[in-house]
Amino acid sequence: MGICIEAAATSLPHGRLFGRGALHLSDAAARDCLERGHHRATELDLIVNVGLYKDHGLAEPALASLIQEDIGANPGHPPRRGAHGTFSFDLLAGGNGVVTAAYVLDGFVACATAKLALIVAGDSPPSPAVRVPFAPAAGAILLSHAVGDVGFTRFVFETFAEDAGLFEVRTRWDPHGGVMRHGSNVLEIYEAPAFRTRCIEHAIAVARRTLDEARVTPTEVDVLVANQLPSGFADELAVGLGLPPSCVPHVATELAHAHTAGPIAALEEGLRRQPKTVLFVTAGAGITIGAALYRDRRAA
Amino acid sequence: MTTPWMLVDSPRNGGFTARFESLGRKLPAHRVTTAELMESTRHHTSIDLERLTGIHEHRCCGPGEDSLTLAIDAARDCLARSRYRASDLDIVIDASITRHDGEAIHRFEPPLSLSIKQAIGADRALHFDISNACAGMLTGVYLLHDMIRRGAIRCGMVVSGEHITGLGSNAARSIRNILSPQLASLTLGDAGAAVIVERAPDDQPGIMLAGFTTLAEHSRLCLGFPAAHQPGAKMFTRAREIHDVAMVDGPLLIEQVLEQASLHLADIDWLIPHQTSVRALHAADKVLAERFGGGPKHLVITVDDYGNTASTTLFLALHRHLGEHTFTPGDKVLLLSVASGLEVGVLIFVVDHLQETHGHLH
Repeated sequence: MGICIEAAATSLPHGRLFGRGALHLSDAAARDCLERGHHRATELDLIVNVGLYKDHGLAEPALASLIQEDIGANPGHPPRRGAHGTFSFDLLAGGNGVVTAAYVLDGFVACATAKLALIVAGDSPPSPAVRVPFAPAAGAILLSHAVGDVGFTRFVFETFAEDAGLFEVRTRWDPHGGVMRHGSNVLEIYEAPAFRTRCIEHAIAVARRTLDEARVTPTEVDVLVANQLPSGFADELAVGLGLPPSCVPHVATELAHAHTAGPIAALEEGLRRQPKTVLFVTAGAGITIGAALYRDRRAA
Repeated sequence: MTTPWMLVDSPRNGGFTARFESLGRKLPAHRVTTAELMESTRHHTSIDLERLTGIHEHRCCGPGEDSLTLAIDAARDCLARSRYRASDLDIVIDASITRHDGEAIHRFEPPLSLSIKQAIGADRALHFDISNACAGMLTGVYLLHDMIRRGAIRCGMVVSGEHITGLGSNAARSIRNILSPQLASLTLGDAGAAVIVERAPDDQPGIMLAGFTTLAEHSRLCLGFPAAHQPGAKMFTRAREIHDVAMVDGPLLIEQVLEQASLHLADIDWLIPHQTSVRALHAADKVLAERFGGGPKHLVITVDDYGNTASTTLFLALHRHLGEHTFTPGDKVLLLSVASGLEVGVLIFVVDHLQETHGHLH
């Protein structure tokens, strides 16, 4: 028993001024994903948001609960006897958010504690004035219970803590910040030149081990799902693993700088090919690499 | 048995039983009385906060203390009381709302859990952060419970460091009367807490059931985000409405969960609810007693001494009562989270070895 992917969807802002917030984008991706999967929001048992950069830097409540209310997933009050509710929370693992959430949900859905779960990933600059190295975008993946030797068959996570300082993002109080220079909270992003190279090196090592342990050869991989950032990550990873370039789904230009939704953008494109075996490889600050193997129902 | 509204996870669904193996905490040494806090408000308020909430004092971080140091110290205290070494941990989950780290008011990347696991030496552990307001730590335990139950991991730690009194300092600059949406910020206290959850030996008791739900219709009743023109953050709470929802929906949810565990509320020896104010907790106890024809044998209140320490309150209370040896092996304890979202979480466990082992520092 495992969990299978029912659908994936992404969303982008429609203009330069409006609809660019993480919540708006996440709501749209969640709704599209449910529609593609032919499910209603009320069927959801779990919603996990893995997006990091939220509207106005929202720290409380979990963005997932706002998404739950917006899409109408059993918002409750009063809880009805005989029906079921939805549980929502945020999981923060940067570029590894999607794979980590899939790992966490694997048990709940595989054991049928939950029947239908949604992972949502959306990021936007906390305010229009803040410059960030990613583009506003969101994605969602719908997961359901699968019978047989299908779904996510292996998860591997490894952290290379010696590289923890290569990518850091924080908010700091700048006493002279703001338009009037009366002080403001500023988002600081530090990316060392070596971050990209080290991510690729570590990802190749972890992905190779994942394939070897599962006795899957590179030729058996139909689609490589990876982050969009750092740029060129997926292409260089494919070369390092000896995968054909065709394994890498090329996403729309607007999604090429998506942060936590990056893997979902690749998955959405990759699913169009009806793959049997999908290799997920993601990298996040830490540096932590997440890898997972996914066997589609068609492979069974 | 009817379908519960909550997403309930229990060993009855198959698999192993999980249990609390050890708990740790870190309380900053600096104490601030409610009277001192109210003297710091910019405007004359006439609010008798101590009478309103029953909170006498709370702890406040001193120089060099922040979310990360509180979490690390709590994790070390937890390990000192544990049979496990840090290198044995399969997972480390940080559940703090606040993510202060040195000069950083909020750390986004890498996750705080990475720094915590590095500091304690849990090199092998998978790590990630979760954010679920004041229900964060119980959410982490809920996730570990599922992973242990299905055999995916053997043991893991949930940890949180809440350096949250900055919200109170910011609120003190603008509060004018009792209707202020920032009033709840004045009830907060700083603290760190950590808990190790492990697979229980065969036939040993442990966590009987864990359930969570989000009543998202009320997701916007409490919002916290960075302040525009001040260091730190602000929180705007419609506390009365949250309380009313909890009073209406809480008993029904608890009833359904107890039914899943084949228990009555009178079977519960200790109810440890999320600590908001003494008055609110007594009101909740009364509502439960009226609905069930009798309440739990004991209601645990620690908010009077610590304030509302956000995601750590349940485990701070549990730690204190274990230290005071008030539990008896076999006692049933119900942990109840009510948090922004609106999150409602319930976990019922049986006290076993924990009471004996808690005081033993390894």
